[in-house]
Amino acid sequence: MSDVNLLGRRNFIKGMGAAAGVAIASPAMAISEKADGVKWDKEVEVLIIGSGFAGLAAAIEATRKGAKDVHIFEKMSYFGGNSAINGGLFAAPGTPMQKQEGVKDSVDRMVADQMKSGRGVADEGLLRHVAEHAVEALQMTMDAGSEYHPYLQQLGGHSVARTYQTTVSCGAGITQPLYKECKRIGVKTHNRSKFEGFIIGEDGKVEGVKMREGYYFKEEDSGKVVYIRAKRGVIAATGGFAQNINLRMAQDPTLTSEVGCTNAPGATGEGMYEMFRIGAIPVHMAHIQSGPWASPDEGGFGYVSNYSIYNFPHSMAINRLTGKRFMNEIADRKTRADAELSCRDEKGEALPPILITSYKHSKKHPNTKKVIKYNVGWKFDTVEELAKHFEVPVKPLKAQIEEYNSYVKSGDDKQFGKNMTKAKDKFIEAPFTVVRLWPKVHYCQGGVQITTKAEVKDSFTGQPIKGLYAAGEVCGGVHGVSRLGSCSIPECMVMGMTAARSVMDA
Amino acid sequence: MSIMNNKMNTALALVLGCCLALSAQARDKRDYHEMVYDSGCKSCHDQGTKTYPSDGSCLQCHDVEELVEQTARSEEDKWQNPHNNLHYGKELPCVECHGEHQPKQPMCNNCHTFKFDKHKQ
Repeated sequence: MSDVNLLGRRNFIKGMGAAAGVAIASPAMAISEKADGVKWDKEVEVLIIGSGFAGLAAAIEATRKGAKDVHIFEKMSYFGGNSAINGGLFAAPGTPMQKQEGVKDSVDRMVADQMKSGRGVADEGLLRHVAEHAVEALQMTMDAGSEYHPYLQQLGGHSVARTYQTTVSCGAGITQPLYKECKRIGVKTHNRSKFEGFIIGEDGKVEGVKMREGYYFKEEDSGKVVYIRAKRGVIAATGGFAQNINLRMAQDPTLTSEVGCTNAPGATGEGMYEMFRIGAIPVHMAHIQSGPWASPDEGGFGYVSNYSIYNFPHSMAINRLTGKRFMNEIADRKTRADAELSCRDEKGEALPPILITSYKHSKKHPNTKKVIKYNVGWKFDTVEELAKHFEVPVKPLKAQIEEYNSYVKSGDDKQFGKNMTKAKDKFIEAPFTVVRLWPKVHYCQGGVQITTKAEVKDSFTGQPIKGLYAAGEVCGGVHGVSRLGSCSIPECMVMGMTAARSVMDA
Repeated sequence: MSIMNNKMNTALALVLGCCLALSAQARDKRDYHEMVYDSGCKSCHDQGTKTYPSDGSCLQCHDVEELVEQTARSEEDKWQNPHNNLHYGKELPCVECHGEHQPKQPMCNNCHTFKFDKHKQ
């Protein structure tokens, strides 16, 4: 009764408001305007939109290069963007840990791996620029206080182990230290500040922005619009659009609201569209990546994603209908996501496949404890128990384990050609830990085209738009069809730093 | 039966609605905040009654450090402390997880299955 009453009352209040002529929210028009006649409310030296890896790195680098008045604007009430909930995996070639572990790697090799996954349409110049500066960016995180696991991981599509991961197994292990560093060096940070358009000067130069201060997410009329002039330039580090169902479905109609998403709610892409509005070149918008390591048993990225990423090299992914493997567990993300989506029952309904790992190997990653504790992963003492729990035919499953173990021994996966280097001596043996897998929308390869100086190119002239720079997931075409895991953080960090250098050199 | 209920609800809503129209914004509230209501809407609505309280408003009475202590977890789960969490530290505005006039879910639930039995919505 009380619940019903509450509802009735609320609806009634809504009605009253309308009848009494209370202003009704209308969608705010965000339009880029001419600077001519604009009354600036504020003036800043470097204006950064977005507070993820790219925005934070840009702020620190701009300050290091001598900027005295650097401002970060974030539309959400909290800082860190999607980076604060990402996996904290950082790929770099030629790192100290690679030397220690005897891994032979190079910029060329990392670029080659990424070009392969990009399926011929990645931007080699940008990938090379990022790979060349990745160690420098890793150093920036360490200088700010980021800590990493004392081992490397080999992620899908990478030909060698080159991935660092924060000790907290999350991007927050980087955004929190970078954010604190920003505060320490005097960067001004503004939350609840939504960017609503560029202000363009006579020569087409970005002079500043329109900013809604006091903004409450999804309440488009909240707060108040101010005009802010950017003396040196604007850096757009506004991220991807995986959480904007309309925009992602416009590119790929299969990515409906039913499809899970790993991203923070703020990843809705308005910053990117404002850049398109003033002429930026859209690249690869339809290449939207799903993460093959995600779990249908929890929301977003959760705990399972990093569990799977760590364990894939020495685990077996099984189709529950057949009891057999169905993919190379460390193929690139697209290959694996597509393979998982094909795991269906007789009626064609989704039948999330399972990832089977020996407990003695999985337990080396801190997330293993978490997935079991929070009931999104399970431990079994026998194959029979496991098979019963997931309704997998036990005979073919046993045969598959035996067959897979023979590949562990020989180092040659005759089924799917998996690189068995990291599986060496890691046989699939009881007790097991198991999670369910189902892809979630994770990353937008598309965005605005940039140069290796983080300049945003104009569709009409092919020249950089003056006064505007972009860094991070908002940029498109860098990775081509499928980005390799752990290659976004280096890209965000390096391009954020690059944008800051360009702003300060301009 | 259901028609009766609806009628009753409409009647109740009308009565309540009229009261509300008079007192502008009164809504559901937490009983233990009674004294704050006594001193007027503006004691929380520090940016005017037509908009949300500022993110610092609750902190007039509540101390972040105390809350951090109250919700501390074991070393192993220390970053699941909602008031000092892995992703945002101690800086998450209270209203992301708590609502005075309407219930809210813990933000962690977007991605995690943590249980916060004592969570005050």
